[in-house]
Amino acid sequence: MFKRLSLLLTVALLFAMLLLLSIPTSIVAQDAEPTPIVGAFGGGETKISYWNGLTGSDGVTMNEMLAQFAMENPEYEVTSEIIPWNTLYAKLQAAFVANQPPDLVLMHASEVPQFASFGVLMDLGPWYTSGGGWFDETDISTITYSGMQYQGVTYAIPLDNHGRGLWINTDMFEAAGIDTDPATAPDNYEDWVTLLQALTLDADGNNAADPDFDNENVVQWGYVVGEWPRVNFLSALAQHGGEMVSADGHITVNSDAGVAALQQAVDLVYEYNVSPPPAGFDTWQGFASGSVAVIPTGTWFRNFAVDQTDINGMAWPQVQFGAQPATWFGIHAFMLPASSTPEKAAAVEALLQWISANQVTWAGSGQVPALLSAQAALDPVNYPSNILLGQSFSDYGILDYQSTAVQEMYAALDPELDAALNNLKSVEDALNDATERMQQVLDRAM
Amino acid sequence: MSANPRARLTKSTRFTISLKTREMLAAYAFLAPFMAFFLVFVVRAVVEAVRMSFYDWHILRPSRPYIGIENYLELVNDDVWWIALQNTIVFTALTVIGTTIVALAAAVAVTRPIRGQNFFRVLLYTPGLLSVGAVGLVWVWLLNTQFGIVNYGLSFVGMRPVNWLGDPGLVIPSLSLTSIWWGFGFPMLIFIAGLQGIPEQLYEAARIDGGGSADLFWYITLPLLRPTILFVTVTGVIAHFQVFGQPFIMTNGGPGRSSYSVIFYLYQIAWTAFRMGYGAAVAVCIAVIMAALTSVQFLVLSRRIEY
Repeated sequence: MFKRLSLLLTVALLFAMLLLLSIPTSIVAQDAEPTPIVGAFGGGETKISYWNGLTGSDGVTMNEMLAQFAMENPEYEVTSEIIPWNTLYAKLQAAFVANQPPDLVLMHASEVPQFASFGVLMDLGPWYTSGGGWFDETDISTITYSGMQYQGVTYAIPLDNHGRGLWINTDMFEAAGIDTDPATAPDNYEDWVTLLQALTLDADGNNAADPDFDNENVVQWGYVVGEWPRVNFLSALAQHGGEMVSADGHITVNSDAGVAALQQAVDLVYEYNVSPPPAGFDTWQGFASGSVAVIPTGTWFRNFAVDQTDINGMAWPQVQFGAQPATWFGIHAFMLPASSTPEKAAAVEALLQWISANQVTWAGSGQVPALLSAQAALDPVNYPSNILLGQSFSDYGILDYQSTAVQEMYAALDPELDAALNNLKSVEDALNDATERMQQVLDRAM
Repeated sequence: MSANPRARLTKSTRFTISLKTREMLAAYAFLAPFMAFFLVFVVRAVVEAVRMSFYDWHILRPSRPYIGIENYLELVNDDVWWIALQNTIVFTALTVIGTTIVALAAAVAVTRPIRGQNFFRVLLYTPGLLSVGAVGLVWVWLLNTQFGIVNYGLSFVGMRPVNWLGDPGLVIPSLSLTSIWWGFGFPMLIFIAGLQGIPEQLYEAARIDGGGSADLFWYITLPLLRPTILFVTVTGVIAHFQVFGQPFIMTNGGPGRSSYSVIFYLYQIAWTAFRMGYGAAVAVCIAVIMAALTSVQFLVLSRRIEY
C-alpha cells in the first residue's frame, strides 16, 4: 500500500515539475505567441530552406510574411529555421564545410566580410539595378549599401536597419516633470546626468541629486548601463570622435575618446548613482517591472514594450554624451551560398523580390525597413519608433568595423567593458587589455 | 548415431581450439562492435585533434599552414587561459567536494529504513534528469538579484539582496551550488550501492563493543566506502572540469571573466573565432590536465583501499 502511495506521489511530483518547467521564465504576465522554431510554409514543389536568427517577436512577423508569400505563390514551399544568432553562425560554418548550407540565410551585415572572404557567398551584384537586376541600390542609404559589400563585390540584399535608441517610461518622466518630446532630449553628458538623476529615486522618494538620497536603497533607476554595453560604448566612442580601428590598422579603443566614453558610463553607476552595476541586473525585466526609467535598447524592443509590458513608453533617440550625435546600428541582410544551383537561386530571388516589395510589413517587427521608399511609407501613428530611430540611423548611424575577425575582436572587448562597468578593473586597464588582445586578433586577420 | 561417443569426441576435438582460446575469441567478438566505434569516433578524433593543434586551422579557410608548437606557445602566454583554468580548478574543487558530501549524506539518509524510502530516493535523484538548459534558466531566476526567490527569502531575516551571479567572489560558488543540486543524484545512487555492500555484522559487532552512530560512520562506513569515494571523486573531477552549460547560460562568463571555464573559453575560440587549431591545442591541454589530476587522485586515494 505504502509503495503504491510512494509511486503515486513520485509521479505527481514529476508531473508538477514538468508543469513548473513549462511555465515561461518571464515574470511579466504575457500571452505572446511563441515563435515557431521550425516552420514550413506552402506545399509547392520548389523547396527553399531558410535559416535566420529572429528568435524574438520579429520571428513571428517574418513567419507571417513567409506564410503570405507561400499563399500568393503556391509553387513554393519555404522551410524556415530559427536559430539563436551565435549558434546560427557556428552551425552555418559547419554546414558550409559539409557542403549542405541552406538555400537562403539571414545574417548581420557585419558577417559579410568573414563569410565572403571564405568564398562561400554568392555574388548578388547582378540582382542590383546597377548590375541589370531588380533591387534598386539608390533606394537604400549609402552606408547600408556599403555594408552589403566586401572588396567591391555585393554579397547581400538588405532587409532592415536595426539599431540603438532609447525606450522611456513616460509616466516616470511626467512624474519628474520632464518633457517626453524626443526633440527635447539633452545633447550633452551633464544635462543627461541631471535628467537621469531626476528619474532615479530611493525608497523615500529622494532623487539621486538630493543630499539625502540613499544609493543603497534605490527603487527606481534612471538608466541601465548593462544593456548590451558594447554598442553603447561604440556609439559613445564615435560621439567623442573616436573609432575602434584607425585608418592605419591600429586598435584605438584605449584612445582619449575611448577612455572618456567608458568613464562616463562607469560614472553613471559609481559617481552619479543613476544606474545599477550591470552584473545581476535584468534590464528588460527592470523596465517591464517599472523600476527603470530609460533603457538603452533598440528597434527590436518595440513589440516587447507594447505587447509584454503594461508600461506607458515611447522611443527616444540614443543618448548623446559626446560632442556629436552617433548611434550604432546593424543590418539584417539576406545571403545565398555560392554553391546554389541556378534553379534554387531563381526560387530564392523570387522570395526576396516579394519580401523587398513588402518591407513595410516588416516594420511590424519593430525594425526599420532598409528601403528608403518603405521608410517613407510608414504610418507615423503606428510606427513612431521605426521612423524616429530610422531617421537617426540615416543621419548619424555607425556600422560595425568591417573585418573578417570583427566577432573575435568583440569577444576580446566585451569582458573588458563588463569588468570596468562592474568596477573590477579601472577604465584605463580594461581598455588597454582590450586593445592588446584586439590588436592580436586584427594582426592575425590582416 | 555413433556407437562410440568417446571416439566421436576425440575425432571432433582434433580440429577444435582450446577452451581458453575460444573464450578469448568470444570476448574479442563481444568487444569488437564497441572497439570499432571507439576507434572510429574516439581514437581517430583524438589523433585528429592532436594533429590539428599543430596547424593554423580555420574551419572555412582553404589553406591550413603547419605552425609546429606555436598554438601551445600562444596558450602559455594567454592570460585568459590561465584565468579560465584557475576558475575551473576552484569550481571543480568546490563542486566535487560538495557533491560528494551531499550525495553521501543523502545516501546515508535514504538507506535507513524510513517510510517513503523509495519516494525520497526518486525525489533526490530527479534534478539529475533535467537538462543543463532547464537547470540554468531556473537557477538564474532563483538567484536573480531583483526578483529571485533566494533573495526574497533572505529579506525575511533582514539581509540585503545578494548579487549571487554578479559578484566576482560569489559567482563560482553560486555556479557550484547549482551544479551540486543538479548532479548529486547519481553519486548518491553509487553511495547507496556502496552502503548496501557493507556487511551488517560489522555494525552489530561495533555496537556490541559500545560504538555510537558517529563511531560506526567514521570507523566502518567511511573506510569501507573508500573505493566508492574514489570512483565518485574521479568521475566528478572528470565531469566538472568540463563545465560549460552553467557559465554559458547563467553568466556568459562574467562578470568580466570571473566565471570563464576552460571549456567555455574553448567554445569561444573554436566557435566564435573559428580558430580550430588553437582550440585543439586548448583541448589537448585540458585532456592532459585531467589525466594528470585523475592520476594524482588514484595515487592519493587508492593507497589504503581494500577491495
